[in-house]
Amino acid sequence: MRPSTPGSSAPAARGANRSGIPVPAGSPAEAGGFSRGVLIGTGFTDLDRARTLLASSELDRVDHETLLGILADAPDPDQALILLVRLLDRAPGAAGVLDDPDRSLALARLLGSSEALGEFLIRRPDHVDLLTDPTQAAATAPVLGPEGLDAESSPLRDLLLASVEADPSVPEPVAGLRGKEAAAALRIAYRRQLTALALQDLTDPDPQGIQPKVSAWLSDLAGAAIEAGLAVSRADAVEQYGDDARGVSLAVIGMGKCGARELNYISDVDVIFVHSSTLADGHRSATIATALAAGISRYVTAAAPEPGLWEVDANLRPEGKDGALSRTVDSHAEYYRRWAHTWEFQALLKARPIAGLPELGQEYIDAIWPLVWTSSEREGFVSSVQGMRRRVLDNIAHQDRDREIKLGSGGLRDVEFTVQLLQLVHGKTEESVRVRNTQSAIRALERRSYIGRKDAQSFAAAYRFLRLLEHRIQLVHLRRTHLMPDRPRARWVLARSSRGPGEPGPSDADALTAVWKRTRKDVRALHEKIFYRPLLSTTAALSAEEVRLTPVAVGERLSALGYLDPAGALRHIEALTTGVSRRASLQRQLLPVMLGWLANGPDPDGGLLAFRRLSESLGSSPWFLGMLRDSSAAAERLCHVLSSSSYISDMLEHLPEAAAWLGRDRELQPMPFEAQWQEIRAKMARHPDGDEAMRQIRLIRQREILRTAIADASGLLDQDAVGHALSDADRAAVLGALHVAENTMFGHPEARQDEAGELTDLLLVAMGRQGGREIGYGSDLDVMFVHRPRPGADPDAAQRQAVELAKQVSSLLTKPCRPPVLAERPLIVDADLRPEGKKGPLARSLESYQEYYRRWADTWEVQALLRARAVAGDPELARDFTAWADSVRYAGDPGPSAIREIRRIKARVESERLPRGADPARHLKLGRGGLSDVEWLVQTLQLQHADTRASLRTTETMSALEALVTEGLLPAEDGQVLHRAWQLASRIRSGIVVWSGKNSDVLPAKRQDLEAIARWCGYEPGNAAGLEEDYLRCTRHARQVFEKHFYGA
Amino acid sequence: MDRQQEFVLRTIEDRDVRFVRLWFTDVTGTLKSVALAPAEVEGAFAEGLGFDGSSIDGYTRIFESDMLLQPDPSTFQILPWRGEEEPTSRMFCDVLTPDGEPSAADPRNVLRRQLSRAADMGFTFYTHPEIEFYLLASKEPGPDGQPVPVDQAGYFDHEPGGVATDFRRHAVNMLEAIGISVEFSHHESGPGQNEIDLRYADALQTADNIMTFRTVIKEVAQLQGNYATFMPKPFGDHAGSGMHTHFSLFEGDSNAFFEPGAEFHLSTTARRFIAGLLHHSVEITAITHQFVNSYKRLWGGGEAPAYVSWGHNNRSALVRVPLYKPDKAGSARVEYRGIDASANPYLTYAVLLAAGLKGIEEEYELPEAAAEDVNALTAMERRALGHDPLPGTLHDALRIMEESEFVAGVLGEQVFENYLRNKRQEWDEYRIKVTPYELQRYLGIL
Repeated sequence: MRPSTPGSSAPAARGANRSGIPVPAGSPAEAGGFSRGVLIGTGFTDLDRARTLLASSELDRVDHETLLGILADAPDPDQALILLVRLLDRAPGAAGVLDDPDRSLALARLLGSSEALGEFLIRRPDHVDLLTDPTQAAATAPVLGPEGLDAESSPLRDLLLASVEADPSVPEPVAGLRGKEAAAALRIAYRRQLTALALQDLTDPDPQGIQPKVSAWLSDLAGAAIEAGLAVSRADAVEQYGDDARGVSLAVIGMGKCGARELNYISDVDVIFVHSSTLADGHRSATIATALAAGISRYVTAAAPEPGLWEVDANLRPEGKDGALSRTVDSHAEYYRRWAHTWEFQALLKARPIAGLPELGQEYIDAIWPLVWTSSEREGFVSSVQGMRRRVLDNIAHQDRDREIKLGSGGLRDVEFTVQLLQLVHGKTEESVRVRNTQSAIRALERRSYIGRKDAQSFAAAYRFLRLLEHRIQLVHLRRTHLMPDRPRARWVLARSSRGPGEPGPSDADALTAVWKRTRKDVRALHEKIFYRPLLSTTAALSAEEVRLTPVAVGERLSALGYLDPAGALRHIEALTTGVSRRASLQRQLLPVMLGWLANGPDPDGGLLAFRRLSESLGSSPWFLGMLRDSSAAAERLCHVLSSSSYISDMLEHLPEAAAWLGRDRELQPMPFEAQWQEIRAKMARHPDGDEAMRQIRLIRQREILRTAIADASGLLDQDAVGHALSDADRAAVLGALHVAENTMFGHPEARQDEAGELTDLLLVAMGRQGGREIGYGSDLDVMFVHRPRPGADPDAAQRQAVELAKQVSSLLTKPCRPPVLAERPLIVDADLRPEGKKGPLARSLESYQEYYRRWADTWEVQALLRARAVAGDPELARDFTAWADSVRYAGDPGPSAIREIRRIKARVESERLPRGADPARHLKLGRGGLSDVEWLVQTLQLQHADTRASLRTTETMSALEALVTEGLLPAEDGQVLHRAWQLASRIRSGIVVWSGKNSDVLPAKRQDLEAIARWCGYEPGNAAGLEEDYLRCTRHARQVFEKHFYGA
Repeated sequence: MDRQQEFVLRTIEDRDVRFVRLWFTDVTGTLKSVALAPAEVEGAFAEGLGFDGSSIDGYTRIFESDMLLQPDPSTFQILPWRGEEEPTSRMFCDVLTPDGEPSAADPRNVLRRQLSRAADMGFTFYTHPEIEFYLLASKEPGPDGQPVPVDQAGYFDHEPGGVATDFRRHAVNMLEAIGISVEFSHHESGPGQNEIDLRYADALQTADNIMTFRTVIKEVAQLQGNYATFMPKPFGDHAGSGMHTHFSLFEGDSNAFFEPGAEFHLSTTARRFIAGLLHHSVEITAITHQFVNSYKRLWGGGEAPAYVSWGHNNRSALVRVPLYKPDKAGSARVEYRGIDASANPYLTYAVLLAAGLKGIEEEYELPEAAAEDVNALTAMERRALGHDPLPGTLHDALRIMEESEFVAGVLGEQVFENYLRNKRQEWDEYRIKVTPYELQRYLGIL
């Protein structure tokens, strides 16, 4: 016990209250006679009410001047006054307190801070001895000792057990009181202790310093209340189950804050129940244990003459709210060994026996607690740590939660997550950081140099300050809230209550708000500083105050982030941060947070390497560093792109200026075809040399593909838009190539003397997916070359010239340039789909096509024409070609034998075209339910119905599919199945190229590849198997639909 | 390294174990085994053991590259029939992809997935199988082309000094020695036919136990110079071999099927579970009866219910609710009688559990119980009462399963596809065979 608190300074309150506002001496002592100034100076807001109350008969014997001096110490004088008057009405003897400066200060602080506890005293005036006779009261309400945090057992258990007439000296006491009487007695005893605690808390000169003790004491008090509830519950069980009840023991494990002895004034108490039994019948044991556990909650919470305390929440138990309320130790251990999710182990981090049979509780802890620290060896640890980290970041993103002290950005939760994260990462190798309590953990992490000394201090101080605010806010109504009050008056009161008497601290609402805001900002910065900054510590020159982690500890953190090769990552970090250049110094600032962003992608190691390369090729250009420094959105997007796509990383390395788009969404919009063509024309005009012009054209194509890919990776484009953008880029390039080829053969248009050299006009018609503008990255250009000899030209010479031009176009697009276009995937022109295939002439005249189709064409060749789209060449020829193609492809139902022929070809293609050994279920293009199934079905229906239904006349598969549904030719649900399968297969194909830089038509089997592609397709991390399963299911369904409509099964 | 793994390594050293067999199963439930030198075990725990998946049924064509076997240390056992000379042990394995994730093609993983779904709903799933098999004189048929049983005894017969009695004693001892508790063993109705009931255990352990059981039974028979078979129907004239299994769901330590005072003491959960079993019984028949031969038993009468039905202590019903023993609330259970002795226990229990859980989740209504002998009803009566028949051949069963989203969801797309492929192939091979029946019936007259 210690002498009552800040007595020495109390007399000062006579002349001036602690707000520094002088109370005029010699004011009229008569009730109601106080001047406005005096009342305002005391801190009242409702002056009329204050006057009335001061005049009330209960205060007759009190010196009003002294009283005002006392009330000036109350954080909320209005509230303190009315509670005082009501209290004196119920307990007139309490008036004596007002003559004692120490005790009157305590009274003012209590009534002015907690309406709920004031009401308690008014409701239960017996307990006013806590104020009137502190020495006497101390015997029945223990005082916070210096041992505070470390005390394992406290007299609280004995006191609360005594309240329900249970014998505290036995390990499993049985209460004498029962029913609502017991509930009321227990709660009154609890609130008596709570009031005693609040009195000490509120009068301590250093409330932040005492906060850990208060929290520990609150946890013990909660444990004691549960113990007393259990004693009553046990009495019930004995009555209901007879001697069997004595054969069943229960232990209560505190989780969360209660387990860690860091509880706040009012909060759900998270528990887990465990039982043991000497009975043979496990079923009956479980029934009794469940009754015991349920009884606790009833006596603590359910309706009784004294209000309930708080919820006893057992939902963290195995299997959550569906699971059994209590289990045996073995059953718990079995669950955690076999079924538990990683986060459940994290929840166990704070588990501690708080009530019930101590040996049983210890047995539980011995069996379960070690599992927390081996959980890092379990699968999914990294991803679950990442999930935790994301939760921290997500919190930071919520700007609207401005008043949240706990969950808001820079709130308590941020501190707790950061600390737990470090405990889990380093606790595997370092036993001394395996502690439950947040503040102890901060100290342990500091002692082992996982956190710098200064950071640890700031972190702990911020945590204590936030907890203090939380305590004071909850104390007012004993309500579970974490919201900063809105009204200025309430903030003013909070500022006063959260300050010790005579303690400097925020003295008014504005000052409090300012300190709170600064603390939140500090907490936000500290997360980054504490977790990420030290990753640089083995290499970069950090300031002396910053912690220097060992390479092992850095490795642990990098692995926990998902870096597979921490040693390699360290080398890159070193290269990026060593030196005195502006770049190195800026990267020292940026890299910590970028390491986190890179770790969000599927390949953090690759991403870091790519960033190093990019930085080395760009680092000296001021805009690059400027962009990273000034636009964190751009830097984050860059990290995302680099760690999820080697395709983009490669291109970016050679076209580094594209990094500038990252910060500007407008620049990531696909460039329209016309704009590209205009730029290409300008280039051709400036570069009369064909090779150089072509190089420029190919650079433009490369740039536009990169733009599309970055926009795609940033989620700015949908699948259709990507297909269109890529097709447009190819079209612009091929159109450019055609012009360059013509210029090379015939001379520059302006310089052409006559047109004698030109015998024919050439047209490129895109086929297949190019025709439908639905290509992916790295697609070839399937074409037919169509030409029309100029009037009077020799047909044979014109044909030769057309073929020559066609060859030129292909060659211009692919042949090596000087200097080379780095990382380019040249556009390969593929004319193999032309009539007669490779044996046929490369180009044909339009007439020849018409002739061919009239006389020879197979149905599949008509079908191929469905996606023919004129992309480059003479506009008039394009118009005529399209008109002719329409007349062929939209000619109407080709008849049953043609349809049968299409079906037969498809069936043959299915068995023959599939590469040897490929699994048909995983082949994106030719596999079951893959792209080609959907396309063949759509095209067949187009052939049959496009003559009468104009909406079917499109080269795009998805538009055609949509039209088929609208026209009622396909049931909507079947259309949806096909749509989803086609989209998913297309998306996966893109994903494969973007992730690996290679083209492949097979769904990968390697997990890392699948994982990356799953993320590309919009899955959450850790869903590789989910994508695989979804793809197989989607395509199986698509195949069913396909077979039904195509083969008519 | 966890404690279980340390225990295994210590035992290997203490008992001077010479070989460690790693066991796993293919999709049809055939046991596969790889022998490992003791020195390799620690490495296998840490990194798994690589093997070529492409040569195993159901793993074929999925992954060209190697797969990994991850031994489950909790299944470590010394194999008793190997004697003390060169002690040999075994562990069951989970099959992993080269990246260390559970392989979607591993039947054990299919069951694990359903069990963890049950755990998410708060349930533990216990199973108790009654396994029948025939003890034959040898693997070779007799002169009449029929298998030769070791005796001519019948149901519950005790044959003094009989081969089967000795055999059961040996087998039960062996099973106990390997940690499999036997509840019950007796002679069954067919000549040479025996039944041994295993004590209830959670479903994964039961499935492992069944795989072990089959091996033990075959080994013991061989030691005696006989041959044991789990073929569903080796004799046209005698009963086939089934694997009726009792199921119960526990919530923590209490039986979720039990409700005092309710009809048959069946809780709502139990009723919905049964409804789930019945509702999906047709589409899962290709799993519970996986061979061409299975259907000879299924449609051969006797103890093989072939109609969708349930009843209280009704042996003709597909799902039987056994008589309740008043003192044993924990023993409330339901018996699914539509499984034959050759089923893949992992897949079978996975689909049955999933069916039951679906019944619970979607609150299926339980149809009325069948009070009479379902087999004795006329076809029209059964139709009127809603007792649909199970499929009549493997082919029919596969056609139904192909359309089942439910089965695809439980097995996962990969096992679903592989299983169907494997079974279609079996059917295709079967239907071009000319059987003795055909020769006997047609050769003389046509």
